[in-house]
Amino acid sequence: MREIIDKTVAEVGKALLGKEPQIRLALCCLLSRGHLLIEDLPGMGKTTLSHALAQVLGLSYKRVQFTSDLLPADILGVSVFDQASTSFSFHHGPIFTQLLLADEINRTTPRTQSALLEAMAEGQVTVDGETRQLPRPFFVIATQNPLHQSGTYPLPESQLDRFLMRIELGYPDPAAERSMLLGDHSGTASIVLEECLEVSQLIAFREAAGKVHASDNVMDYLQRLVGHTRVASGFACGLSPRGSMALLQSARTWALMHGRSHIVPEDLQAILPSVASHRLVANSDFAGDNHALIRETLATVDVIKP
Amino acid sequence: MKLEQQIPRNALIWIVLAQFSLLLPHLGRVPMWLVLVYVAAAGTRVLVYQGRWSFPSRGVKVVCAATCLGGIWLSYDSLIGLEPTVALLLVAFSLKLLELAQKKDAYLLLFLAYFVCVTEFLFSQELQVTLYLLAVVTVITAALVALQQPEKLEFSLLPLRRAGVMLLQAFPLMLILFLVFPRIDPLWSVPLQRQAAKSGVSNFMSPGDISNLSLSGDVAFRVQFDDFVPARSQLYWRGLVFSKLEDSTWRALTWSEVPANERRPLVVQNLVGQRFDYSVLLEATQQNWLYSLRYARPSDLGVMSTNDFRLQSPIELEDQKEYRVSSWTDIPIELELSDWRREVETQLPLSGNSRTRELAQQMYSEAGEDSRSFVRATMAMFTEQDFHYTLRPPRLGGNSMDEFLFESRRGFCEHYAAVFVYMMRAAGVPARVVAGYQGGELSPINGTLIVHQFDAHAWAEVWLPGEGWVRADPTAAIAPERIERGLQYSMGDDEGFLSGSPLSPLRYRNVAWVNLLRLRLDAMNYSWQRLVMEFDSAKQYNLLSGLIGEISPARIATLVGVIWMLVLGPVLYTLLRRPARAKLDPATLSYLDFCDRMAAQGCVREPRETPADYARRAIEQRPEWGEQVMAITGAYETLSYLPPLQDQEAQLQKLRNLVRGFRPRKQ
Repeated sequence: MREIIDKTVAEVGKALLGKEPQIRLALCCLLSRGHLLIEDLPGMGKTTLSHALAQVLGLSYKRVQFTSDLLPADILGVSVFDQASTSFSFHHGPIFTQLLLADEINRTTPRTQSALLEAMAEGQVTVDGETRQLPRPFFVIATQNPLHQSGTYPLPESQLDRFLMRIELGYPDPAAERSMLLGDHSGTASIVLEECLEVSQLIAFREAAGKVHASDNVMDYLQRLVGHTRVASGFACGLSPRGSMALLQSARTWALMHGRSHIVPEDLQAILPSVASHRLVANSDFAGDNHALIRETLATVDVIKP
Repeated sequence: MKLEQQIPRNALIWIVLAQFSLLLPHLGRVPMWLVLVYVAAAGTRVLVYQGRWSFPSRGVKVVCAATCLGGIWLSYDSLIGLEPTVALLLVAFSLKLLELAQKKDAYLLLFLAYFVCVTEFLFSQELQVTLYLLAVVTVITAALVALQQPEKLEFSLLPLRRAGVMLLQAFPLMLILFLVFPRIDPLWSVPLQRQAAKSGVSNFMSPGDISNLSLSGDVAFRVQFDDFVPARSQLYWRGLVFSKLEDSTWRALTWSEVPANERRPLVVQNLVGQRFDYSVLLEATQQNWLYSLRYARPSDLGVMSTNDFRLQSPIELEDQKEYRVSSWTDIPIELELSDWRREVETQLPLSGNSRTRELAQQMYSEAGEDSRSFVRATMAMFTEQDFHYTLRPPRLGGNSMDEFLFESRRGFCEHYAAVFVYMMRAAGVPARVVAGYQGGELSPINGTLIVHQFDAHAWAEVWLPGEGWVRADPTAAIAPERIERGLQYSMGDDEGFLSGSPLSPLRYRNVAWVNLLRLRLDAMNYSWQRLVMEFDSAKQYNLLSGLIGEISPARIATLVGVIWMLVLGPVLYTLLRRPARAKLDPATLSYLDFCDRMAAQGCVREPRETPADYARRAIEQRPEWGEQVMAITGAYETLSYLPPLQDQEAQLQKLRNLVRGFRPRKQ
C-alpha cells in the first residue's frame, strides 16, 4: 500500500514541483473522505494540484470559477422543459462529478456557498424537490485567496469546519522553481499523468484506514491536544468534537499512508496544523496567527504524560 | 532596569498602605516630626512614581538620615533605650521609601515591616492591639503578594484576599507552635521603659500632702471567684501594711527593721469558717506586693506569705501575673502579739500632734481603758461629728493630725485611716494602716470582678485581745456609700473622679449600652490575657505533661514530630504526589523513569518530543548511548502504540529491565 501512495505522490509531484508535504496532506485528506481547502495567493499551483490529483486518482473532474453572481442552480443544475418529450428534464450541474474544484469560493454569495456546502456534507443534492445522489467518491477542493478580501464573503467558522483540512502551498524552493522555469511546464493540461490509484483501491484503502489501531496513549495525547485548545488562553474557541473526529480520521489515514497499522504521536503532530488551524479562533489578545497557536499547542502539550 | 525587577504599581500602593498602618499605632509615642518625615518620604516616592521627580541622590539621602538621627538624639536625649530605638527603626523604615527602586528593595522593606510590627508589642499586648496587628500583617502579606503580580494589573483587592487565605491556612500551624514550641528564655532582653503607675497604691502614704486626688479608670486587677462572690462590703483587698510613721508619712517596715525571728510568715493552723477560692490576674505594677482578701493562703509556688498576712512576689511585676488564692475571711489572725510586734504597732513619733494625743488618751480613759469600747467611741466620733468625705481636701501642715481632727475635718480614706491609727496608738492600742483596694465591679458578662485604680483604699487594723487583728474602716463610718456602692456611684464628676482619664468609657457608665460594651470588651480582654498572655512556659509544661505524661526530650521530639507530620503531611503529600503518573500505564511509568535518568544526565525531554524524536536527539548528544536508547524507545513504542500483544507482560518486563539497566555516567 505504501508503495502505491509513494508512487501517487511522486506522480503528482511531476506536475507540482517541490511540494511533497502538501501533496501528501492533500492526498491524506482525500483518502480520509474529506474535502480540502487550499488557501494561497494566485499562481501558486492550486489548480495544478487539484487537477493532478484528479488525474492520478482516475476521477472525473470539473472546475467552477466562483463569482459574485453565481447562483446555486449554476452549480447544482436546473430542470428544463423539453419540448420534444413534453416533460421537465434535469440538466446536471458541474457538481455531478467525482472531484470538483471550487475556485475562489469566497467570491460568491453565502447562498451559493451554502448550496455547495450542503452537497459536501450530505453527498446529495435536492433540486425541485427531487433528491439526487452525487457520484461516489465525491471530493471538493476549494481554493480561496487570503488577500484582497474586498468584495468577498469569507466563509464563516461553521462552514470552514466542513473542510477536513486546510493547506497552504507556499512559494517553491529555488531549485524547484528553476526546474519549473526551464522545464516543459507551460500549462497544467499539457502534462498527462499516469493513473496510480483505482477507485476500488481507494475504497479498500478507506476501509483499511478505519481499522488502524489507536492506542490509549495516543488517544490520551489527542484528547490532551484538543483539551488544550479548549482551556488555554489565546484561544477564543477550541476544537469541536467534529474537529477531534477529523483529527483521529486524518491521523489514521496518515499512519496507513506511512505503512503502519497503528497511530504514533508523530502522525498527530504531522496533520494537526492542517486539520486544526482553520477551525480555531484566536483570542483577540493573541498577537500571532493560528499557526502560531498550533505551534504553541504542540510545544506545550506533553506527548507522553498529562 | 529589567522589567522583572520593577515594582508593580499595584504593589507600591500596598506597600505604602502597609507602612502607614504600621506607623499609626506608634503615633502617640513618637515625636511629631517623625510623622512628617514619613509623609515627606511617601510624597517623594509618589512623585517619583509619577515621573515628576527622580530618586534623590546619595548626598541627599545621607543628609536626610543624619538629620533624622540628630532629631532622635534631640528628642530623646539618647539613642539607647526602647523608645529611641523604636523611633530609629521607624525613621529608617520611612526613609527606605526614598530608595525603593527595585523589587529587592521592596522585599527588604516588607520583611522589615514584619519586624516593625513586633515592636508594637513592646508597648502594649492588649487584645485590640493584637487584632489590629493581625490586620496589618495581612496588609503586609498582601503587599508581598502584589509584588508577584504582573505589571498590567490594576489596583485590586485580590492580593488582600489571597493574603487572607494564606494567613488562614497558616493559622493551625501558628496555634500548634504557640502551644507546643519550646519557650526558651531570651538570650538578651529589651530594656522596657514602663510608665509609673498613675494612681493606685504606692509604698508610702502621706495624706496631708495631697490636695487633689486624681483617680484613673485603669484596671488594677481582675478576680475570678470559683463559687460565689463575697458581699461588697467584705471586699477589702489587702496589699500593704503601713506600720511606721515618720515625718507625717506612713510606710511599711523595711526588711532590716524586722528582727530575724519575726521574719517568718505567720500561719493560721485551724482553718474554719467561710472559705473563698479565686484567682487574681494582676496588671503589671513594677512592685512586688500582691492583693488578696484576708486571711489568704496562696496555691502557687511563686507567691509568698508575709509576717503581716499579705502576699508577695519575690520579683517585681514587669508583666501581668496570675495567681490562685484561698481566703478565710472570718478567721481571727495573730491572737498572740509578740513584744516586738506590740512595740512596733504602738510606736509614734516622740512629739507633735499633742491635741490628738490628748484627745485619744482622754477618750481611752472614758472608755474604761477597754480597747473595744475605745474603737467604737472613735468610730462614733467620726459619724456624729461634722466630718466630710472629699477627694479635694485642703493641704495640711506639720501637725497634720491636729489640723485635720480639729480644723479642716475634710479628707478621704487615707486621712481617716491615718488619724484613726494615730489615735489608737496614742492610747497604746496596737493599730496599723492597711493599703489596697476596696470593692470592685462585678461584670455581668463573665462574672469577673474588675478592680479599678480608683478603687484604691486605705483602712485600719486594730489588735484586740482575744480577737487578733480586726479591720476598722473609718471611711465606712463617714461615707458608707463609698464602701457599699463604690466610689464611682458616690462621687459626682465634679468631685474630681476620673480627672486623670478624660476619655475613659467609665465616665459614661450611666449610658447603658456604653457600659455594657465596656464590660464586654473587658471580659474579652480578660479571657485574652488569661488564655494567651499568661500562657508561659509553666502552663505549657502543664499542658504538655497532660498530653504526653512525663516530659523528656525524646517525648517532646516525638510530639513535635507527630504534629509536624499532621500539619505538613497533607502539604507534603499534595506536593510530592504525582497525580498524573498514578493514572499512567506501567509502560509509560517505566519510560518516564528512563526520561528522568536521561534528564539527570542533562538531556531533558521537551514536552513536544515524541519518544522517537527524543531518542534521536539523545543519540546526537551522546552517541555512546545509542543501542540502549534505541532499544528502550523501540520497546516503549511497541507497548504504547501497537495493539495489545500476546506477550504484553513479557514485553513490559523487558522494558523495565532495559530501563533498570540504563545507568548512564556523566561525561
